[in-house]
Parts: sequence; C-alpha cells; structure tokens
Amino acid sequence: MSQAYLEIRNLTKEFISEYQEEKVVAVKNFNLEISKGELVTLLGPSGCGKTTTLRMIGGFETPTRGDILLDNVRINDIPANKRDTCMVFQSYALFPHMNIYKNVAYGLELRKLSKQEIRERTEKILGLVGLTGLSNRPIAQLSGGQQQRVALARAMVNEPKVLLFDEPLSNLDAKLRIRMRIFIRKIQQELNITSVYVTHDQEEAMTLSDRIVVMNQGEIEQVGTPEEIYARPRTKFVADFIGKQTNFLTGEVVERDSGKIKVKVWDKVITFDRQNDFKKGDKVLLVARPEMIDLSSREGTFEGEVNLVTYLGSEVIYEVSAKNQLFTVQISNPLKQGIYHRSDKVFMNFDVRNIYLIKE
Amino acid sequence: MKNVKTLILLLLTVFLLFGSQSLVKAADVLHMYTALDTNEAKIYIEAFTKDTKIDVQWVKLPAGELLTRLKAEAKNPQVSVWFGGPSVEFIAGKKEGLLAPYKSPVGAPFLKGNLKDPQDYWTGFYFGAIGFGNNTNFFEKNKLAYPTTWQDLLKPEFKANISLAYPYTSGTSYTVLATLVQLMGEDKAFDYWKKLDSNIHHYNPSGSACVTQAGLGEIAIGIAFSHDILAKGTSQGYPIKGSFPSEGTGYEIGGLALVKGGPEPELGKKFIDWALSKRAQDLMKVWFRIPLNPQAEIAAGATKASDVKLINYDDEWAGNNNKRLIEKWRQIIGK
Amino acid sequence: MTKSKRFVAYLKRIPSDIKKLFREPLLLIAIILVNLFLFLFIVLPLFKIFQLSFEDNGQFSVKIFYDLMSKSYNVQPLIHSLTLGVAVSILGTLIGFIFAYAVTRVDLPLKRFFNVMATFPIIAPPFMMSLSAILLFGKQGFVSKMILQNMIQFKIYGFYGLLVVETLTYFPTAYLTLYGVLQAIDPALEDAAMDLGASKGKIFRSITLPLATPGIASAILLVFSQSLADFGNPMILAGNYTILATQAYFTIVGMYNLKGGAALAILLLIPSLIAFCLQKYWVSRKSYVTVTGKPSATRIKMDSPLTKYSIFGLCLLFTGVIFLFYGMVIFGSFVKLWGANHTLTMDNYKHAFTVGWEYIKDTLILSSIATPIAGILAMIIAFLVVRKNFPGKRLMELVSLLTFAVPGTVVGIGYILAFNQPPLILTGTAAIIILLFIFRDIAVGVQTGIAELQQIDPSIEEASTDLGADSSFTFRKITLPLITPAFYSGLAFTFVKCMTAISAVIFVVSGKWNLITIAILGSVENSDLSQAAAFSVVIIVFILLALWLIQFLVNRLGGGRRIKFEKAEAL
Repeated sequence: MSQAYLEIRNLTKEFISEYQEEKVVAVKNFNLEISKGELVTLLGPSGCGKTTTLRMIGGFETPTRGDILLDNVRINDIPANKRDTCMVFQSYALFPHMNIYKNVAYGLELRKLSKQEIRERTEKILGLVGLTGLSNRPIAQLSGGQQQRVALARAMVNEPKVLLFDEPLSNLDAKLRIRMRIFIRKIQQELNITSVYVTHDQEEAMTLSDRIVVMNQGEIEQVGTPEEIYARPRTKFVADFIGKQTNFLTGEVVERDSGKIKVKVWDKVITFDRQNDFKKGDKVLLVARPEMIDLSSREGTFEGEVNLVTYLGSEVIYEVSAKNQLFTVQISNPLKQGIYHRSDKVFMNFDVRNIYLIKE
Repeated sequence: MKNVKTLILLLLTVFLLFGSQSLVKAADVLHMYTALDTNEAKIYIEAFTKDTKIDVQWVKLPAGELLTRLKAEAKNPQVSVWFGGPSVEFIAGKKEGLLAPYKSPVGAPFLKGNLKDPQDYWTGFYFGAIGFGNNTNFFEKNKLAYPTTWQDLLKPEFKANISLAYPYTSGTSYTVLATLVQLMGEDKAFDYWKKLDSNIHHYNPSGSACVTQAGLGEIAIGIAFSHDILAKGTSQGYPIKGSFPSEGTGYEIGGLALVKGGPEPELGKKFIDWALSKRAQDLMKVWFRIPLNPQAEIAAGATKASDVKLINYDDEWAGNNNKRLIEKWRQIIGK
Repeated sequence: MTKSKRFVAYLKRIPSDIKKLFREPLLLIAIILVNLFLFLFIVLPLFKIFQLSFEDNGQFSVKIFYDLMSKSYNVQPLIHSLTLGVAVSILGTLIGFIFAYAVTRVDLPLKRFFNVMATFPIIAPPFMMSLSAILLFGKQGFVSKMILQNMIQFKIYGFYGLLVVETLTYFPTAYLTLYGVLQAIDPALEDAAMDLGASKGKIFRSITLPLATPGIASAILLVFSQSLADFGNPMILAGNYTILATQAYFTIVGMYNLKGGAALAILLLIPSLIAFCLQKYWVSRKSYVTVTGKPSATRIKMDSPLTKYSIFGLCLLFTGVIFLFYGMVIFGSFVKLWGANHTLTMDNYKHAFTVGWEYIKDTLILSSIATPIAGILAMIIAFLVVRKNFPGKRLMELVSLLTFAVPGTVVGIGYILAFNQPPLILTGTAAIIILLFIFRDIAVGVQTGIAELQQIDPSIEEASTDLGADSSFTFRKITLPLITPAFYSGLAFTFVKCMTAISAVIFVVSGKWNLITIAILGSVENSDLSQAAAFSVVIIVFILLALWLIQFLVNRLGGGRRIKFEKAEAL
C-alpha cells in the first residue's frame, strides 16, 4: 500500500441539537487512507454523514474527536482558509457580483501572485474547462452547466492538495450530469489531483471513483473499488444500496466439504464452489443481482409466475413471484431468447458462480 | 490594515464624545438662556455684542423649561446668565438656589421696590401688564362690546373663542392665575376659572400664541401680556385691539439674573450692567416693552402703568405659591 | 435534555466560543465596542428612566405611579393616547389594505402612481399633515373659508383632527406591510381555489384574507405604536384632547417634574413594548407565507366592474386627499402671512435661508454625520448577528431593535437623565443629538441588514474562506458588496428620520445646535403657518435630493437596484 496522502483517523462528529435537545452522532469512528492522485467517493443516503465528513476535511466543521492528516501533517487546528483544500459546492457558491474571471482568479489573488501569473493560470484553467473567451461574462448570465464549470475552475486553479466535491452535479439535468461526471473524471486524472467526492447517486460513484466508501448512519459500511463493492458487498446494506433491485435469499449451510458448500434455500439445495469461512449451520444471505438469474420455461431451481414485464429494448426486466417473494430478473438480448408474458409459468436458474454470500 | 481601522474607529469615538464639547466652551464667550422670543432676544444680544465685542451663545427656551434645564444642570451649569422671563420664575429660581446675587451699579438709582429682588438675586429690566387681545373683525361682525372686565370673559357669546396658555408651561398664564387669586381670593378665583374654562377654545404651551391666534381669527380673545398683544398682534398688521380688565390686572417684571456657578460670571455681570443702561433700555421700545430706566425712550402706543388699573401684585407670594397653585389648577381644571 | 442541561451545555460552549474569538482580534474588538455603544446609548437612558421612576428615598417604590394616576389630568391623556392609537391603527390598516389589495390583486391603471403616493408620507415630516389640516380646515382654512364660506366649522383640534392626520401620516406603514404580505402569498393557492370553482369574492374571503391575517395584525400593531409615539401632530393639533407624549414633555418642561415625566414616559412605553413584542414574537411566527414572493402578472384576475371601479375610486380619493394636504402646504409656503395677508411671495423662503439658515445648516450637518455612522454600525451588527457566534448574540440583536419599540419622547427623557452629569456630560453638545439620531434609527438598518444577509447563500462566504480569505477580507470583498443595496436603503431611511426627528430631540437641542423641525413647531405656535410651511417644504426638498443622490450612488456602483422602503418600515 502506498504512503497515505490524506489520512483520517477515528473521526467522530457529534451535534447537540438545539430544539430536539438531544445529541446526534453524525459521523462515528471514520477511518480512511487516501493515496495521492486517488478519487475516493463517499456514497450513501441522505443523513449518512458523508457531507459532514467532507466539511470536516475542508475545515468547515470541527471534529469532536479524531485526526485528519494531510501529507503527514495534522490539520485539525488549521482554519479553513489556511488549509490546502478547495471545495466545489453543491450550489456552486459563485460570487454573483463578479464575472467569471474575477471568480476564478479570487483564490490566486489572495495568494499574492503576480498579475501575469494569475492571468496565465486563470486563462489556462478556463481553457481546460472549455470557457475560453467568456472571462468577462457576469455569473447571472450563465447556464447551469457553465456555472458548474466555473465552480470547478475556481477550485482547481489553486492547485490544492485535495479537491473536495459536495454533490456538485445534483442541480443538473440527467444528460448534463452524465457529461459532466465524465468531464470531471478526465480532468482529475489529467491533473492527478487527490479528490474526495460526495454523492448519493451510485451510478455517479461507480463511474467516477477509484474507490468508494459506502456510508450509513455515520459509519463506514465498506470501502472498496467499484467492482469490489458491486460483486462482493460485505453487508446487506451495501448489497442493497448498490445496483438495481438486488434479490436476497436466506439459506442455511448444510454441508461444507472439499472446497464446496451446500446451502439449503427453501426446499432446494444449491452448491457453491467456494467456502470462505462458512461453517455448517451458518445462516447466509444470498445476493442475487437481477442479471444473475436466468429464466426457462422448462426447468430450473425454483418455479414462479411472471407478474410484470418491462420491455426496454436491449433488455427485459421481469418481476417474478415465487415462494411468496418477488424477484427482479434482468434478461439481456430478449430478441434472441424470446419474451415471456404476464402470468407465464417460468423456472428460475441461478448463476452460482457470481452470486455472493454474506454471513448473517 | 487592521490596526489602522481600529485606530480610526477609536479616534472617531473620542472626537465625537469629547471634541464637540470642547468646541462649545471657547474663550470670551458668554453663555445664556433666554425666555424671550427669539426675534426679540436677537435685538438685545446682537447690540450687546456690537457694543462690547463679547460673543454670546444663547438658547431660547419657554420659561418653565428654562427653569427645568437650570435645575437639571445645577451640578454643572452650562450658562452664566438667565435673560428674560417673568419675575415669578426668578423667584422660584432663587428658591431653588440657582441664582447668584449681583447689585448692578447702573440700576441702583432707579430699581426700587419690587422691581428687583430685595437681596439682588435678580433684577427687572422691563415691565408689562396682562390684557386682552381682541380680534376686531369678530367684534364688529357680531356687534359685540369689547371685554373690559374679567367677568366679561364669562359671557356666553365668547364660547370657544378665548385662549391662553397653560399656567404650568407659561409664565404669562401663571401670572393670570396669580392675579386672579390675589384679586378675588383663592376659592373664588378657581370658581371663576372653572366657568372661564368652558369658554376656552384650547390652551397653548406658549404664552403669546393666543395673540396670533386671535389675529388670525381662530379665536376672538387672547389673554396675554400687553407687549405681546402689541408686538405680535397689532404691529404685525393683525386686526387686534387691546383692552384691560377694570377690576385690576396683574403685571410682570421681566427678569435678569446671574446663574449660580456659571462659567463666566464676570461677563454675566457686564451683560446685566449693559441691559440696565439707557442704550439697552432704549431698545425696549422695539418690542413694546416698558423700560425701567427713566431716561430711556418709550414706544408709541405702549402702555404705561398709569394707563391701566393695576392690582398690588405680590411677586414674592406668587413665586412661593407657584407649585401649589399650579397643582391645584391641574386638579380642578383637569388639563 | 432538560432546560438546565441545555443551559449547561450552552455555558460549556462559551469558553470555546471565546477562544475562537481571540483568534480574530478585530472581531473581538468589534463585538466589545458594539456592545459598549449599545449599552451606553440605548440601555443606559432607559435604565435611568426606570431608576428615577421606581426609586423613592433610595428604595424601590411605585409611589410615583399612584401619585400620577390619582390625578385625572394624567389618566385622561393615557386613555386618550390609547383610544387614538386604536382608532388610527384600525383606520390606517383599512386604508393601507385597500391600497395594497388594489396594487397587487386588481386590474387597474396608475398602479405605480398609487404605490408612490401611498409611500410618500414616509419621507415627509410627520407633523406636516397637522399643519396642512389647519391650512385647509382651520377657521382661516382654504376649505372652510374660501370654499365653504365658513358654513361648516370643522373640529380639527382634538380627537377627530388627530385621527385624520395621524391616519394619513401612518397608513403607509400598513400599506407596505400588507403589500409585502399579499405579494408573498403563493399564487398557486388562489389559482387552485379558482380551479375548484371559487368566485373572486370567495377566494378573497376564504384564501386571501385568512392568509393575510397575520400581516393585518402586524400592520395594526405597527401603526398603533407609531400613533402612540407621535409628538409633532399632537403638539399642533391636540387642543384639549391631551395625549401622553406631549403631557410627558410638559410635565418635565412645565412642571419641572423630572420624576413625574419619567414615570409618564414609562406609561407611554408599556403599550408600545407590548405591541412590539406581540408583533415580533407572536404575529410574525404565525405567518403563513414564505419570504420569497415573486410578483407575477398571473396573479391579477378579472374582477367585476363594480369591485374594480369602487376600489379604483377609493384609491383615487385617498390619493387626492394626500395630494390636497401636501399641495396645501406647498401653496401655503408662498403666502405672505396665512390668515392675514394672502399675497404670494418668496419671503418665507428668504426668511428660511437667511434667519433660518442656522436651523437648516445644523440639521443637515447633524443628519449627514449621523446617517453614515448609523448605516455602518447597523451593517456591522447585522453581520455579527447573522454570521458569527458569540455569547450574548441574541441580546445584542434585541437591544439594537429596542429603540424601534420605544417612543421618541421616552428616549429623549432618558438621554437628558443619562447625560447631564459626569462622566458623560453631553447635554448641549452636537454629540448628544448625533447619538440620538444614530441609536434611534439603527433598528431599521439592522433588520434590513439581517434580512438581506439571510438571503445570501452562506456557502458563498464559505467558498471565499475555502479559497484562502480571512473573515475581514470575506466581509469586505464578498459580504459587503452583496448587502450594499440594503445598506443604501438603510442610509436613505435613516437620513429621512434624522431630518424629520422631533419627539426625542426636542429635549436635547441647545443654543449651538438647532433643528428645522423645532423651528417649524415654533412657527406654528406663533401662528406663522406660512413660515412653517416653507420650512416643511425645505425639509422635503433636501430629503428628495438626498434620496436621489443615494439612488445615483447605488446605480453607479453597479446592481442598479431601486432603494426599497419595504423592509425598512415593516419589521
């Protein structure tokens, strides 16, 4: 593991709510090591503590306990304006009474650089974000996407050690969001700036990140690459939060033998070519993503009935009810396989190689 | 940058609080309060400055407020001279210990009797009598006789057509009250005023306001000092004719005194001497006042003591009973 | 957490809050200075009044109140003041509502004109209406004498006269409040009602009026306070209908009774404070509307011609009355001697600029010094209250608002009590007048500043910090430019208030420093109405010049936003 550039140790934040008269723990024992040049995303539902964590890194909230180290220096006591971090705010927070140039050059002017250098760096970054020639435009006249890019430029032009992103794309429409996240990732990689990114949109997280930190109610559920998070979720929360409509089955390990385990699910026994550290008698949760279930009209592990058919062209999503449970099944390339209809009887087959097991 | 800002802020504060005050207290300036009308006071004060080259900073205040101000400032008097206002006020002021005695050599020859305080705490410098200012248009249009007695004022024809000041804000009005009490006896005087009250349109804060009101025809009769009736009424071109109650009327001596502990007593004394000199007393006629200095000239048409029946007005008694009578008046009349 | 635990937690935070303060010494100095000024020039005078009234021979006593109240000549003014206040507030709110409704909900021409006329009285000296009433309806009045040939005697001195002039003077406050309230009601609500089948009348009764009710209550309370505190109008027009504010003045000035005057001041203060608290803490909490109301053309619906024309007619009528009153004063200023000599002349103006020049000069100088200081101080307080955390913050905000709730008479008395002895002897100086100006009017600037600051997205200031700026830089480069419109609004309002001040300053004017408003009262007392009219017009001209200048500065420095009195009047 490379030397950590940004290190967060046992970070905790407690709020004392004025009106409810109670203590709220927003972030609990957060530990993370980020390498230089890495883009790590804090992902989770609202209220999970991701924004609070980000703001503590930036210096806008004071940790109740714990340490933040940047390049081996503890920065807890350094005020926000002296930290070498820059944030892209959710509302962009552009200065309405200044034009693009003045907004972007603001931080540079504070660093007392020469006029020449300020101009060069500002023009360069504006070029990078595709806003060349618009320096004099006032903020009020910009579109959402343009404003977003100004916010990005303003933060990046100062070449901070860490870039912080607070849900910067949530105010944009869907198409623009996709374009912008590709754009952000490209620039981040090109400039190799260490970044911490906060979002509740898992698709965004998956496409942008080197690693993802999934958070829930102030605590870390799992840290890993997008593939790790997706294919090998460590908790039910992660499995459920990531991906579309995960199916869960409960089972019990009935046999563990020479590299295989047999799991009893309802009245069937399914064999998995692995054992991890499961023991006989363990209760396990099967994580079966919609694309890991196959349908057949003749034979399969469980029998069920088609409730709902959603035809999307390149794939079909079926809602199948079996054993009093609803399953979401995704079949690609339906034109090849044929399409089932509502009330059809089908058999479900499981892709045992990819289904993940979580100990309950 | 930070330090400069703080410094400026502090300097500004200091300047505001103390700077302006020091500006006020310059050298060779006489400070005074006057109860005289601004325009009248200007005449005398400007003449004084012209004659003596002493600069004067003065404020005009209604008589009652002037006394209050002196009282409030007693620990640190802001003025040296109290110029003008009826003598009753000065008697009250002497009682409150606000005055300093000065016997002017200029006035000694002619200031006899109650023209000045027996212990020289204040001196008179003019004289005037209480009378009625009547709007001639009203009387001619309604074919009425001008009031020549106090009892005349109670006539129903004058309902809501008389005005004067509150006795507690105006020396003029208090003199009326004190006069009535001395004339009729206390109980009868208050009975009289109760009846008079129903004829009164409204009371004013200042004593001479009723004269211009009569002049404008807002009311028919204003009760005020003769000089105000002439100065503010007739001589301004208003249709005003003066008359006096034949039972007898009260009068006032215009007072002048040194303020105890004032900032420039020597200049104050100079002013008093000047005010009693023929030069100053000659100026009295401009405002229709009767000068006390027998060598001074008198205005045409001004009243002399011999023209009117005067009661034996006891200034001292009026001054001593000021608070009591006013309180009783407020209780009984309720205003 | 129980209340005590919460308080303990609050106390525990204090040391860390203070520690944070020490890291920014400039901030700390600012807080200390502001608190010092607020204490000296707002709290201390009020305290002195209470101290004088409630003390008898060194002990706490309410004796003076018994003494006062046992006299009918004190009880009457109290009853009169309250009665008049209630009447004016109801009538004024009614008129204000009609205007506000007309401008926001009815399809009428001349809306901008009505808007201007309904707010004009705010910039005029408050007692101009009384002067005009005499010019119009006095025995020598234009209407009484020339038009009606003295057939009708108008009872302008007393209750009815005061009711009319105070209503005309203070209804703009109600108008502005109600305008804001009506604008802020979500148009979708009224659209929905219409969609469901409600008639215009039904929409008004079941939607608009109920939602506007807190605003109506607000307006009533605000106008009530203003009527209670009115000094200039009653001085001129009260006649025998004595009211508390002028009685307090006479008690001190005529009966040399400082203590009695102070006690009367407290009696005057209590209803005002109650009205203020009700308005701020109860009524505004019940507000149903959001602050960000957008004026929209779709709000105006079709009305029945009857409604339309009657409302239009009413607005024209009121506007006509306002025009008449102000026009009369302008006309009167050109008359040689009202009531006696009606030749037209410029003499009164000549007199104003020669003999009266001292008054004009002094008033302008003092107002011009006080206004920027008040403006800056107000912005600093607003910034501290909204953006910073320190012990006693809420208290600072409350104190700075206090003078808005306190009638000018009370403040004036407090000042002469507080500053006529060492260590701070200010009576007779320019300083006391300037201080009175500043701290009387600071409340509005603070409120406007707070409202404006609250509308600025805090992440903008965070962004500035994030990019490396310290508090002072952020304040100067980011916050200040963004609240500049509010700053200029505050300046404009303060200047107006300084130029038209009377009720507090009448206690502290001195030989060296005198004010036009006092000269006006003196002229009216001498029945020199033409002179008074001329002075009044001079005041208005200077105010208009100043407003134009401020608007010019605002336009020049970018933004080009029109100065608004909306938030200024309606707290």
